[in-house]
Amino acid sequence: MSEAPSFHRIPVRHLSGSDLLALSKRMKLSLSEEDMLAVQRIYLEWDREPTDVELEVIAQTWSEHCKHRIFGARIEHVRDGVAETVDGLFRTFVREVSEEIMAAKPGFVLSAFHDNAGFICLDENLAVCLKAETHNHPSAIEPYAGSNTGLGGVIRDILGAGQGAKPIGSLDVFCFGYPDTDPAEIKGEDVIHPRGILRGVVRGVRDYGNRMGIPTVAGAIQFDPAYLYNPLVYCGTAGVIPRWAIGKKVEAGHLVIAVGGRTGRDGLKGATFSSAALDDTSHVEDQQAVQIGNPIEEKKVSDFLLAARDARLIEFVTDCGAGGFSSAAGEMLSDCGGTIWLERAPLKEEGLVSWEIFISESQERMVLAVKEESMPELRRLAGMYETELCVLGEADGSGVLKVSHHGTEVCRLDNSSLHEAPRQHRRANWTTPAFGAEPDLSGLDLAGTLKALLGDFAVCSREPIIREYDHEVQGNTVLKPLAGGREDAPQDGAVLRIDGSHQLLAIGLSILPEWGKTDPEAMGLAVVDECFRQLVCIGANPDRIALLDNFCMGNPNDERELGALVETCRGMATAARAYAAPFVSGKDSFYNYFEVDGQSISIPVTLLLSGMGIVESLEHVTGSTIRRTDSVLLLLGQSSRDLGGSVLARHLQLGTLRVPRPDLQLNLALYRVLHGAIRDGLVLSAHDVSEGGLGVTLAEMAFGEKADIEVESGLTAFDLFNESPGQIVLEVPVAARDEVLARFKGLPARAIGKTRSGAGRLRIGDELDEPVSSLKAIWKAPLAAHY
Amino acid sequence: MARPKALLFKFPGTNADTETDRALRLAGFETDVQPIAVIDPLRLGDYRLLVFSGGFSYGDYVMAGRLAQLEIERRLGTAIRDFHQAGGHLLGICNGFQILSKIGILPPASLIANVSGRFVCRWVPLQRMARENPFLSGLPDEFELPVAHAEGRLVTPAPEDAEGYLRDGLAALTYRENFNGSIAAIAGLQDASGRALGLMPHPERFIDRHQHYDRDWSAADHGWGHYLFQSIYQRLAESA
Repeated sequence: MSEAPSFHRIPVRHLSGSDLLALSKRMKLSLSEEDMLAVQRIYLEWDREPTDVELEVIAQTWSEHCKHRIFGARIEHVRDGVAETVDGLFRTFVREVSEEIMAAKPGFVLSAFHDNAGFICLDENLAVCLKAETHNHPSAIEPYAGSNTGLGGVIRDILGAGQGAKPIGSLDVFCFGYPDTDPAEIKGEDVIHPRGILRGVVRGVRDYGNRMGIPTVAGAIQFDPAYLYNPLVYCGTAGVIPRWAIGKKVEAGHLVIAVGGRTGRDGLKGATFSSAALDDTSHVEDQQAVQIGNPIEEKKVSDFLLAARDARLIEFVTDCGAGGFSSAAGEMLSDCGGTIWLERAPLKEEGLVSWEIFISESQERMVLAVKEESMPELRRLAGMYETELCVLGEADGSGVLKVSHHGTEVCRLDNSSLHEAPRQHRRANWTTPAFGAEPDLSGLDLAGTLKALLGDFAVCSREPIIREYDHEVQGNTVLKPLAGGREDAPQDGAVLRIDGSHQLLAIGLSILPEWGKTDPEAMGLAVVDECFRQLVCIGANPDRIALLDNFCMGNPNDERELGALVETCRGMATAARAYAAPFVSGKDSFYNYFEVDGQSISIPVTLLLSGMGIVESLEHVTGSTIRRTDSVLLLLGQSSRDLGGSVLARHLQLGTLRVPRPDLQLNLALYRVLHGAIRDGLVLSAHDVSEGGLGVTLAEMAFGEKADIEVESGLTAFDLFNESPGQIVLEVPVAARDEVLARFKGLPARAIGKTRSGAGRLRIGDELDEPVSSLKAIWKAPLAAHY
Repeated sequence: MARPKALLFKFPGTNADTETDRALRLAGFETDVQPIAVIDPLRLGDYRLLVFSGGFSYGDYVMAGRLAQLEIERRLGTAIRDFHQAGGHLLGICNGFQILSKIGILPPASLIANVSGRFVCRWVPLQRMARENPFLSGLPDEFELPVAHAEGRLVTPAPEDAEGYLRDGLAALTYRENFNGSIAAIAGLQDASGRALGLMPHPERFIDRHQHYDRDWSAADHGWGHYLFQSIYQRLAESA
């Protein structure tokens, strides 16, 4: 085995801008010419040449993946001819909004933005967190390994939040091309058919989540040809932590220890790889950027870590994600400074050079800062849980990150010089498209249309996938993804009990990329509304909801695409402010476009808005299916004749139509009254109106198979299929009808039907009278045929 | 009188220990949860019940439960068999059933990939076959529990063995919907004494009514799973 450090000095001080850019490309640093000039200035000031280790560290630190530079950029944006300057998307539309809300709700958010995940208060002793990540590029190339490590990575984010949070539930959201895509339509070699992507990705999530014993409880899938070349894979995990363990701090004298898997060549340069576009060589050349997952290794680390936390042995912990030791140690030692000894890292194979050890993204590794006197007990716990532990370094208070390999310093960086990547300046624009006239739907066959929508990929049952995920492990899933009388009806979200508390965690999510194609601002408004509405429907207190924003987009250098992102952020911020729901975490993924045949194919701007809400009692947990044979059905919220973005519009190919926008103040008032009614036990079930509209909502409520539904006559196609945000169907006991309607006085709420005992039928006026079993069969068929 | 003590084995990859521990304590047991690396074979006699809970011991990358069996033999020798022969009780749930089968406590059988080839997470109606089994005595003949496994299809060395298990009362539990293709729809096996029970369904996930998928399942406080833990607790407490 080599006992010598293996690094090079790389002269940069005398290179021209174009030579610097060439160097960046040769080393696959993904740094721009401007970035490289900034690097050059640093080394001119330091009067020396960088080592390869240092350049790799800078590239990782400044990568879009780690630094979110586009969200920090100053953007000159023009919307419909009106110019404005956006002084950072993150600052303007996320941080400032959230800080305002947090100031108005002291004690609710306990930590936001600076840790691996943000925490909100559950009760006097416990806090909960949620984090979501994307793993898009790896999943395009190796669907199973990509999603497998995507989930493994976000679980480690939770383990690395505070002094270590316990993962208690996961969500997964995918955007794929249609599973029945004609293979002949796919351009580019080695591009994997959407069905292959679907199967691989689901199995990757299944095998990591199930083995870790974390229930996968929520999710969504979008099918759209726009995701054929760039599938999106979002993985999220929620956690719980004792409040005393939220804070963490590295101090001089602490030891830096690495726990878990060994370091190898797998996963080199994932952060920089994911900060560039895919092309038809990616499938061959970038293989080594995709890591291999080993969930049992992570389970052992998790058992060790939570035991160490409870024994109060952890001062600081973070995961090895993108950038490996370099970003974990960098994060840990960024203020304090200290030394890392690379030769101490246990390796999977011999012969790794210095920079490879430092930036490898091998999975299942956590880095901790601990007091020296804690080591014997930590070693005992590591033995007990059969995980490997090594002392990797030491914090020294110098403020300088030093990396040594076999006695030679291979990297010496003053972290303060690294935090300031050059700020980007960008241009964006958005022009509102011309919307078509309101379509004439007077002749539409309502029953036939409802069946078509139930069988649409956008609406159909996700059961084949949900069954592959263990959504019951830990025994706390009280609102399950499938419920009702036959355990197969969809719910608006999931609710988890929390060990040691009487309060519960609700998880909801919304993703509406179709809306953003024509009106990204409306998409931003609608996803916040839908997620918030789901959380209230399943029992959360509307004053105790926090949000996460996870963006994916194509090419940020395209001004129109970036303009769509700006508008999405604007809408999202407006709605979050109106609902006083702060953002506590977020992430973004750019360069989701594919170059083939001289063409560039981008995904639409896609925002996954997920949220966590506190349900204050088990009795507030509310499902979405009918429970009684003598109830009244109420419809809340404003209908609209704007069909833009709807499943109906896609189904009938109605062209570019105006996208509905929520009346935020009105909706919030509705949600507050609804929550009061749920608290007072007046609501039997509640289901939000979303993809497919009211018709689909009613069918899904009937899928519980406990009662027939009879809805009044006179509903039009617009009433049944519009997806205007804010609509909810409630089932209330007949005795509570007047009381509930009185509470909604002055707000849009009316009785539209009733339930009754019968043979299992859904009746809507004279227009539709169908057996629930046949509607359900249509709804269940599409995905089962492809998964 | 001291409450009966249960020891819950934790292997790397065991993941249902927290809720199984919760279920045992709710039934009255005093419990210890111990990683296999620290279990002392000489102390098994301190316990009345050994429990192998669900999960993926060592990842189950080779046949489910196989590596756990080898580790048990390497670390504990014959201590578990000795415990059993000395009158001790054993419970294996899901992966724990797979492990108990492998170490030869239960009648010969293997748990292989479901006929669907998939992991299946759902609830399933069950039929109690062994009324006298000390783990099942407090349950009705028909009840429901959740399952979650990819390898739960029970097979026997010869097809006729399954008929023998049914005839001899060793097939303690059967599926009323044979979703995974088990021979004779067997969901759980006991040994001849009834002191060891292995089952694929998860009783620890249905301890109270809020864990049922149907909000209106019953007004009863407890779910069916609780009665399994309560049955064995009462049996052991009476015979203390």
